[in-house]
Order: sequence, then C-alpha cells, then structure tokens
Amino acid sequence: MEKPLVFEFLGLKFDLVGIIGSTLMALAVLFICIWLSRKVELRPNKKQNVIEYLLNFTNGIVKDNVSDPDAQKHLSLYAFVLFLFIWFMNQLGMFLEVKVGDWMVIKSPTADPVATMSFAMMTLLLSFTFGVQKFGVGGYLRNYTAPVGFLLPINLIEEFTNFLTLSLRLYGNIYAGEVLLTLLGDRLAMSGGIPTIILAAPLAMIWQGFSVFIGSIQAYVFVTLSMVYIGKKVAKE
Amino acid sequence: MTFETLFAASHVYIGNTIWYLVVFAILMLLVKHYAWGPVSDMMEKRRQKVIEDLDSAESNRKKAEILANEREAALKNSRQEATQILSDAKTNAQKIGSQIVADANNDAASIREKAEADAKKAKADAINDARREVADISVAIAEKIIAKNLSAEDQKDLVDQFIKGLND
Repeated sequence: MEKPLVFEFLGLKFDLVGIIGSTLMALAVLFICIWLSRKVELRPNKKQNVIEYLLNFTNGIVKDNVSDPDAQKHLSLYAFVLFLFIWFMNQLGMFLEVKVGDWMVIKSPTADPVATMSFAMMTLLLSFTFGVQKFGVGGYLRNYTAPVGFLLPINLIEEFTNFLTLSLRLYGNIYAGEVLLTLLGDRLAMSGGIPTIILAAPLAMIWQGFSVFIGSIQAYVFVTLSMVYIGKKVAKE
Repeated sequence: MTFETLFAASHVYIGNTIWYLVVFAILMLLVKHYAWGPVSDMMEKRRQKVIEDLDSAESNRKKAEILANEREAALKNSRQEATQILSDAKTNAQKIGSQIVADANNDAASIREKAEADAKKAKADAINDARREVADISVAIAEKIIAKNLSAEDQKDLVDQFIKGLND
C-alpha cells in the first residue's frame, strides 16, 4: 500500500515525493553538466564531447521543429535543460524506489500527473509567450482563426488537448513502468519464497532495461512535441 | 491499490507545480551559467574558427598560386634575358674582333707605306749625297791631277758622264 506524503504549507498542498525526486534530479543534472563542462576548450576534450553531443542533439530537435531563428536561439537552453531533467526524472524510479514503511519516499516524479502537467503547462505558457512576442497580442489571437474563422473552437480545444496529451503521455508511460516494476518486485517476488524471487529477478531486469528505453523515448518525445507546439506558434501562416 | 494510488495522484497539489517551476527555473539559470553558456560559446567560437581557417586556407592557396605563377614568369624572363645577353655579347665580340683586325690591317698598311716612302727617300737622299760627294771628290781629284784650270762646264760634263756610268 502506497500513501502519498502530502503536507500543507502556506495553504498549498505539497507532495514530498515529487519535491525530493525533482530536487535530487535537478542537482544531478546540474552537477553532471558542471562536471562535463568544467574545462571548455576550443579543441574539445572527452567530457566536452559528451555535453556537446547532447547539446547538438537537443539543438537538432529545436531546429527541426522551430523555423524562426530568433526563437531557436532562446529555445536551445530550454530544450537542453528540459530533456536532461525529464530524462533523469524518468530514470530515477528505475533504479531507486525507496519505501519507508508504507510511505513511498523516492520514485520517478514524472510518474505523477501533477509533475508532467507542470512541465506541459510550462511549455504551453512558453508557446503563448513566443506567439505574443512574435505577432503581438492581436496578431496572436487572430492566429486562432487561421486559416479560416470557423476553426476557432477547434483551435481552442486543440490548445487544451495538446496540454493534456503532452502531460498524460509522459505520465502514463512512466507510471505504467513503475507499476509493473512494483508488481514484479513486490507481489511476484514475495508471493512464493525463493523460487519466485529467482523468477522475478530476470523479469525485473528486462523490464528495467525496457523502462530505460521508454524513459529516454518519452523524454525525447516530450521535448520534440514541446518544440512542435512552440514552433507552430511562431510560424508565419 | 491501483485505484487508491490513482486517487492519491489525482489529489491536486498546486504546491508541487510551483516547486517544479521554481526548481526548473533555477536549474535553467545555473546550467546556463555553468554549462550551456560556455559550451555553446565555445561551439560558436569553433564554428567561427573553422570558417576563418577555411577562408584563410583558400586565400593562402590563391596567394601561393600567384607566387608560383610569378616565379615561373620570372624564370622564363631570366632565361630570355640570359639568351639576350649571350647573343649581345657574341655580336659585340664579333664586332670588336673585326674592328681590331681592320685596325691592324690599316696600321700594317700605313706602316708599310711609310716604310716604303722612307726607303725611297733614303735612297734618293743617298743618291743625292753620293752625287754631291762624287762631284766634290772628282773635282778635287781632277784639280789635283790636271793641276790646271778646268772650266765648270767641262767639269759638269765629266761628272754627268761619271754618274751615267754609276747608273748603268
């Protein structure tokens, strides 16, 4: 039985699991970035190659989906940090699930719809900002009636469904992965003594490997779709 | 279990959203300052350097080509100059040589002429001298032998006859 560690502070509800997980992974991203870019040289060393490869990868996502060169420059950092952060949060639950009594203390923060909706909302707000910056408030609102006026309600609904699909896709994938891992590790392994433990170990290993793959794919998909939505807002109709 | 966790997850904790946004914003700032900024700066610098190097390599290649062409042209020129100098020297030498030979010929001719003239003059002088001497001597001899006055006309006849004899 898992119970959320929720507490109230300043009238707002906080879930400790998400806070611990996201903060840990933010620190991990930060330290790895700093470690990789400690000595930045014109002739790149090995660590620099790694971070430059990652940066080229996320820049490639941005360039493929956003045609506006000014927005590209601003989105490069966003895509880079978002990709690394989500990737780390996806992987956290794969190798580290800490349970204290009935309280699940550490698991993937992205296996929680609030977290994924927060990041999807960030992308949504960012797309509004870029759209308004590019076309002005009037021009931006007029884009909702493009290419023809009667599409206005569909365009408005699309905004909402984009937000929902973006967040729930990530949540569903990671959550399902964690549920299956918990089932394998808890229920199956503990059901019949030593034989089931031996049976569960390779299954859990296979599923963990697959979850690493899923976590990477989902991080990539999340960043790519974020860029697609933002790119759509700054594209000239 | 699944239902309960889903229920728990659907508890909307707005606090977390704020926390995620703040953490993400701070993370973005720090990564920008420590990693993204320097690395993308360096990538841009490297891109510029590659462009510069390519440009300079291109210009160097062009310069080298121009230099090679110049050197080739200079070589060709110098070869032509050398041939020119050689042929000039040859013609000059020939001219000077023939000049020297002509001068020598002239000199020889003039020396021979002078020598001939000198010889003629010496011969004439000698003949005149001899004529005078012979006349004087013969007069003296005749005076001594004849011991009497002999007219100048007879004397001259005598001398002429004598000289005629000499010429023959």
